[in-house]
Amino acid sequence: MDLKALKKQEHQKRVKYGYMWALFCAVLWGLWYIPGTTVWVLNPFDEMYGEIAAGSGDGVALIIVAVLITAFNALTVIVALAVWNGVLGKFGEMKRTVKEFHPCSKWFFMASIFGGPMAILGSFIAMGFVGGAFAAVAALMYPVVGSVLAQKWYGEKISKRAYLGIAFIILGGITIFGGGLITELGSGNVAWIGYLGGLMAAAGWGIEGAIAGKGLDIAEPDVGLTLRFLGENIIWWIIIVPILAIVGFPMFKYAFMAFEPLTLMVLVFAGITFGFCYVSWYKSFPLIGVGRGQGIGNLYGLFAVIFIFLFFGDVPAWTILLGGALCLAGSSIMFSEDTGEMESLRGD
Amino acid sequence: MVGNRPIKFRILELCNGGKWNYEIVEQIQKEYGLKGNFQRDSINFDIIELASGGMLKDVEVKVDEEGIYKKGFLLHKYELTDFGKIRAADACLMYV
Repeated sequence: MDLKALKKQEHQKRVKYGYMWALFCAVLWGLWYIPGTTVWVLNPFDEMYGEIAAGSGDGVALIIVAVLITAFNALTVIVALAVWNGVLGKFGEMKRTVKEFHPCSKWFFMASIFGGPMAILGSFIAMGFVGGAFAAVAALMYPVVGSVLAQKWYGEKISKRAYLGIAFIILGGITIFGGGLITELGSGNVAWIGYLGGLMAAAGWGIEGAIAGKGLDIAEPDVGLTLRFLGENIIWWIIIVPILAIVGFPMFKYAFMAFEPLTLMVLVFAGITFGFCYVSWYKSFPLIGVGRGQGIGNLYGLFAVIFIFLFFGDVPAWTILLGGALCLAGSSIMFSEDTGEMESLRGD
Repeated sequence: MVGNRPIKFRILELCNGGKWNYEIVEQIQKEYGLKGNFQRDSINFDIIELASGGMLKDVEVKVDEEGIYKKGFLLHKYELTDFGKIRAADACLMYV
């Protein structure tokens, strides 16, 4: 084989791996909505909801419970990632990276602010208030935020074809999102805070991706991601949960009660799916770019709807099916892109 | 002061004058005490990530005939791009 052919083959392999990681991310991310939805009806969270709702009302109760669930999610994710990094032998690199606060780890901690209290909390709120399928598809808008930020901020190239794919995905997201909203508007009972949670998820994940890309440039993805979750654990367990406890919410009482087998198993399931969805997500970015990585990862919306149907038997509305099809079409458009002429993903 | 900054920082530093991927991998393995094929591939993947991130560009390619790195595969010679220099400067590495 001549040099040129080998070169092309190698490049295609690279892009293929990037897309493969992004697809893994989509499947795991979709699976995450199963434990994410289930955990709401399990104790101690169900009981906690009841207690706070009796004193402070449903809205406050939902947000406080969502905070505790998100905090536990972050905790199980970091356990899963610690195991992962241990297996890969990357603790040494983690120590070296965390010391580089200014050029490197700063970005991961910033990403955790948008990823945690904005995106993941928003998702749990949407799951609790509106439902898993909705929460999943509401966040489908995030590649818009991510791609635009990545392009404006550090000049990442987005081809016309990628734009077209993103447009399809967004159209699909709007169809699913709008479908649920219109039905609820008809019944005159709209869970606005749930929809706000959906928007938080979309904006949060988009911003997180763009910020994380800045630090990922010069760090190991596995390490960067662990630091990002370290940041999130600090935010929840050292800042927000203690503050809420001081204000008078029964945070620690219920936190200690979470250590019962079924609840713990569901939380660990959430940690594993979410942790590894992030591993794959971050791995895809350097290979195919933030915009495209997020675009393919977006297939999670469809996977989530399928998994929720399989596990809970919720038959999706036609708007969800149509929207899902549009997402699939959009991702295929991005998939089939010929990256041959794109030597580097960024402009010089 | 060898082997105490993140690996990718060191790779950027090494590529300032242009270097072959097998040379980089070998040197990093030595400096950081990373042994075995898994670590070797992992370091090479770091280089690939830096290249697809636009910080390195390959200036020369040849087929690995003798099996210096992996027989039958491509060897790449990398050089720092302007973008790579900016990012390296952000990371407090010394460049003009």
